[in-house]
Amino acid sequence: MVKRHAAEQERYNPFVMLADGLLTLFYGMLVTWRNLWRPKITVRYPYERRPVPPRYRGLFYLKWNEEKQRLNCVGCTLCAQACPTDVITMVKLGKGTHAGVSEFTMDLGRCMFCNLCVEACPFDAIYMGPAYELASERRDAAVFRIADLAQGGEEAVRKNIETIQRLMAEEEKAKPAAAHASEGHAS
Amino acid sequence: MEILSQGMVINVGPQHPSTHGVLRLILALDGEQILACEPVIGYLHRGLEKMMERRPYRHNIPFTDRLDYLAALSNNLGICQCIERLGAVEVPERAKYIRVLLMELQRIASHLVFLGTFGTDLGATTMFLYAFREREMVLDLLEECTGARLTYNWVRVGGVPDDLPEGFGQKVLDFIKLFRQRIDEYNQLLTRNRIFRSRTRGIGVLPKETALAYGCSGPVIRGSGVPYDIRKVALYEVYDRVEFEVPVFEQGDVWARYLVRMEEMRQSCRIIEQVIRDMPDGPVLTKLPKIFKPPAGIAYSRVESPRGELSFMMVSDGSPNPVRVHIRAPSFVNLSVLPRLLEGAKVADLVAILGSLDIVLGEIDR
Amino acid sequence: MIEAVASFFVQHPLLWTFVKAVVLASFTLMIPLAVIYIERKVAGYIQSRLGPVHVGPQGTFQTVADALKLLLKEDIVPTGADRRFFYLAPYIAFISTVLSFMVLPFAPGWVALEMNVAVLFVLGVSLFNVVSILMAGWSSNNKYSLLGGLRAVAQLLSYEIPMVLSVLVVVFYTGSLSLTEIIEYQVKHGWNIWHPPVLIAALIYFICALAEINRTPFDLPEAESELVSGFNTEYSGMRFALFFASEFANNFFITAFAAALFFGGWDGPILPPIVWMFLKVFVMIFVFMWVRWTPPRLRIDQILRFAWQGLVPLSLLNLLFAIALGVR
Repeated sequence: MVKRHAAEQERYNPFVMLADGLLTLFYGMLVTWRNLWRPKITVRYPYERRPVPPRYRGLFYLKWNEEKQRLNCVGCTLCAQACPTDVITMVKLGKGTHAGVSEFTMDLGRCMFCNLCVEACPFDAIYMGPAYELASERRDAAVFRIADLAQGGEEAVRKNIETIQRLMAEEEKAKPAAAHASEGHAS
Repeated sequence: MEILSQGMVINVGPQHPSTHGVLRLILALDGEQILACEPVIGYLHRGLEKMMERRPYRHNIPFTDRLDYLAALSNNLGICQCIERLGAVEVPERAKYIRVLLMELQRIASHLVFLGTFGTDLGATTMFLYAFREREMVLDLLEECTGARLTYNWVRVGGVPDDLPEGFGQKVLDFIKLFRQRIDEYNQLLTRNRIFRSRTRGIGVLPKETALAYGCSGPVIRGSGVPYDIRKVALYEVYDRVEFEVPVFEQGDVWARYLVRMEEMRQSCRIIEQVIRDMPDGPVLTKLPKIFKPPAGIAYSRVESPRGELSFMMVSDGSPNPVRVHIRAPSFVNLSVLPRLLEGAKVADLVAILGSLDIVLGEIDR
Repeated sequence: MIEAVASFFVQHPLLWTFVKAVVLASFTLMIPLAVIYIERKVAGYIQSRLGPVHVGPQGTFQTVADALKLLLKEDIVPTGADRRFFYLAPYIAFISTVLSFMVLPFAPGWVALEMNVAVLFVLGVSLFNVVSILMAGWSSNNKYSLLGGLRAVAQLLSYEIPMVLSVLVVVFYTGSLSLTEIIEYQVKHGWNIWHPPVLIAALIYFICALAEINRTPFDLPEAESELVSGFNTEYSGMRFALFFASEFANNFFITAFAAALFFGGWDGPILPPIVWMFLKVFVMIFVFMWVRWTPPRLRIDQILRFAWQGLVPLSLLNLLFAIALGVR
């Protein structure tokens, strides 16, 4: 059981309360009236969409180099090391000047979209693009493979691997010739 | 006259439209009056401080976005200042100006959230929509600069990752011009309203000594008459070169804290205009080695986040990972004064008082 | 054939009243559809947004969709709830609204139940609303609902008195308690609102009306941020729909009552009377909504203090003022 004392009475002028209340209410109602006629800010998504700015941090994409016919990525793993949450895994293809990647997987379920991997990359290979509608009904849809990320899709991945393997083969062929030349000179 | 009645224990649960996050309050009530209150926190604890011990310094910056998620750039700035102190890293002039510009824009955005949620708690739902309409504009500006709308991650050890985009300064100035008129509208709608005043004046009075004893900071303490603003005390970044006033009100009630935040928005506009006018050209980032190993030691840095004094303490032993990180969150300390404020208050004032403290559970629970 | 039907009903007047009651009951269920749609659209436009736009042209079928949704919901009764009162409460609220509509004249001759004490009847029947809220709050076996119910009862009872006193001013002027006679008096002598005491009475009536139908700034009984949903927290599905519908139908009724008392009811040039009635009602409903979305809400002790220390003395003084002016 709790004892409670009746509340103290304060001085209260009802006329002032009513008049002031109504006046300030009308004053505020002018603001709401003005806003009634302002243009509405609703964007009727998904029938309308707002354009995203150029720096927007949406879905990643691997840049495709048209002249060299390959992806810019050389598989240096700097982005994977810069990532705070271990999102990126990759499989390197080839070595030396003509290195590249045959697999590049990002588990976006772990991704914070923090941009650190983009800043870490010295080869202009990975960027964040404007795509933001990434929701899916399946759990494993969060894992994005190289075909989902490369600019140009499956086609680009295939050409990338082709280019790298071709360049590696040419380098292999050039090596025995150089070895022969040096041998010839030596002997 | 004495009325005998029975007390009641009510749980304002973690899910409640007005607890501003997952905060649980256990109230002992007697009719309409609150006898005692116990806040229960921890529903949003993610172990950030421990996680930061496992990662190199640079990797910890995105985690700070998620502390006070309504003012993410302040958190980023706090941790970067701390690491810069540890490693004695210089920040270029232009980077300092950009940081201040972004911080003040962030302050406006955060105070707009306060305005909206405070109005909704008291029943003026329209205020919420108006505040968020202006906040959308700020978020659009920040999205143009940083690429994100909530978790910006746009401060690095040694500056900012990239320069401002073309024409950004002019867009910000256009927004400020529009925003000043809108603040006048909010005053007309809410501040002058008789009902609003009778709901906030004399409610939840926090005396100066109590505020100082509990260690409150930010608008909570400035509403109780203590002129303490870290921007004026520590003079970090370029706050020694911009002119602005720090609003202080003596009453210590919900009304005073509300007025402090409204006036701070105006002062932020002033700061932003000066910063854009005076920004020098130059680099924006000091390059750091790939494996960043600051010398062993302890560093402590503090920033004035929209909620109060946000400080980071980091201990380094020369390795790439910090040994210990501690985050002193302003909302955590401000929340501790809530039971004192609620003693003797009415249940209907609970929402107003809690709203005026402006807490964010992300930084309380870390 | 129409004469046959008409003469049948003339011979069985009770049956005719029953038919009128059924029509009014369905009207009470249908009118909230329109009022809620207007509420959401007006709220949206005031708040710089669009409101319902998707379902139907300009979103007009939104409330129908919501009503269908509520119909299909599971009927949950909390454990430990007092079943009789829990089931009864929404129906009593609904009945009080239908009964009030029965005596309202929509147009000359269009009254369901002609009563020469219609005003008294309306003021008495509106107390059923109070009882139903109390029943709902108590029987839900929920502390929040109980608090909401008790607050609502305190508020509603306190604001009945200034309302009755301001209606008395009109009764004094027109000399009759029957709504049809009041309207006809206004047709002959001009609208009641032009007399100064009636103007003040109308102002007081509007404030009391806001309190009676639980609208901001007096909507503490259903304040979302404080008590979840007040007395109807535990109601779901069709029971909740009935509470909601009777609240909005009451909205319509209170403004129609005000139109009849102060603004001449169905009186007006050129347009047919029923159109004038609806026009006046919807203008007043728009003003109510405009007031709803501007100020914050009052605390319960402020509400009660305003009623007892503010409105009751004012309305008494106003009544004296009216008598002093109107003594013939």
